[in-house]
Amino acid sequence: MLEATNELGNAVLSTGGTLTDPSAAAALAVGLAALGAGYAERGIGSAAVGAMAEDDDLFVNGLILTVLPETIVILALVVVFIV
Amino acid sequence: MSAAGSSNPEFVVARVRARRGQLYGDEEYRKLVRMTPAEIARFMEESSYETEINALGSRHGGVDLIEYALNANLAKQFEGILDWSEGALYGLIARYLRKFDAWNVKTVIRGVYTGASQEAIEVDLIRAGEFDDRRIRRLLEADSIEAVVEVLEDTIYGDPLREAYAEFEESDVLVPLENAVDRAFYERLLENLPGGEPIRQYEAFLKAEVDFRNATNALRLARSGAEIDPAEYFIEGGELFTRDTLARLARNVDELVEYIAESQYADELGPALRELEEVDSLIAFEHATDAALLAYGDRLGTVHPVSVTPVISYILAKEREVENIRAIARGKEAGLSADDIESELVIT
Repeated sequence: MLEATNELGNAVLSTGGTLTDPSAAAALAVGLAALGAGYAERGIGSAAVGAMAEDDDLFVNGLILTVLPETIVILALVVVFIV
Repeated sequence: MSAAGSSNPEFVVARVRARRGQLYGDEEYRKLVRMTPAEIARFMEESSYETEINALGSRHGGVDLIEYALNANLAKQFEGILDWSEGALYGLIARYLRKFDAWNVKTVIRGVYTGASQEAIEVDLIRAGEFDDRRIRRLLEADSIEAVVEVLEDTIYGDPLREAYAEFEESDVLVPLENAVDRAFYERLLENLPGGEPIRQYEAFLKAEVDFRNATNALRLARSGAEIDPAEYFIEGGELFTRDTLARLARNVDELVEYIAESQYADELGPALRELEEVDSLIAFEHATDAALLAYGDRLGTVHPVSVTPVISYILAKEREVENIRAIARGKEAGLSADDIESELVIT
């Protein structure tokens, strides 16, 4: 398994590798950040919906808290402009 | 209400915490002990019990109305929690809520034994456990204790009840049947718990509950001086007692009190034990165990915010509230003074 991964890495590097390309790495960074944000929002979102089901007034608070992890993606987008 | 798939503690905990905020606090209790039963019903109508009071208000009145509304609300809330929760979380909560199944079974058995009417039994049931309406209906339609045992054949209470029924036929007392139900419940409570740190804490909490139950039973037996084998009342799973220590200690109140005073629960129960020695009253001790459990649950709920523990802490607090309001209403009906009633309440 490990050797196979190594070989794959070598092959990618020797053929001018996609991952060494700065814009590809930046894209990967944004993608991973978005994945993290999504995971965080999953928990917060379900808690927010639960709280809203009990009390409608919590809608605004719930919405704000739910989208807060979205800031990670915005920060990650900065990387795209730097490279 | 699925038992498979991933669990959703965030959703359930958020809802439960919101409900927790609606429970009565010190302030409300102070008002309630100064009200008449009719005023209490009115007060409840303006809070989270509105639906139940309105639904039952035309058929019942006074303290009965309060009592039925409390039971109905309790059942609705706990049923709701089971409805929302999924996966592993459902299993953990259902494990604890099965105690209402045990309660229902015992109520039906007692009702059948005393020849109470079907309606009279039905209003005393708390439909918060895992039994569905069909099984409860069949339980209510049972006209003999043997029929009750038969209805429960395929549940966890089946085998223990069948064994106890033979004993019941010989002696014609309900104790073996009731013990069988309790024991079936407690044995399942601690069985096959999954791993993980919050679950360990949950297990410790359940063990504390079993310990307290054993301690209370032992104290009662020791004080009554009755010639009953204490081991018959022993519930497995706790940490404080083994069957042998309980049997030995239940013969002597002083030794038992000392044993509890030196256990890991010394801090929580110490003051109550001193009171027990001074005024010779078990009530304070029982209240102290309730309060200790409640405080324990609360602490767990904050240590692991996204797990089963806040839910259990809410279930306990809600049960306490229902019992407190019932004590107030019953106390008022009996003409007790506000101070006397207040001493009956468990407030943390």
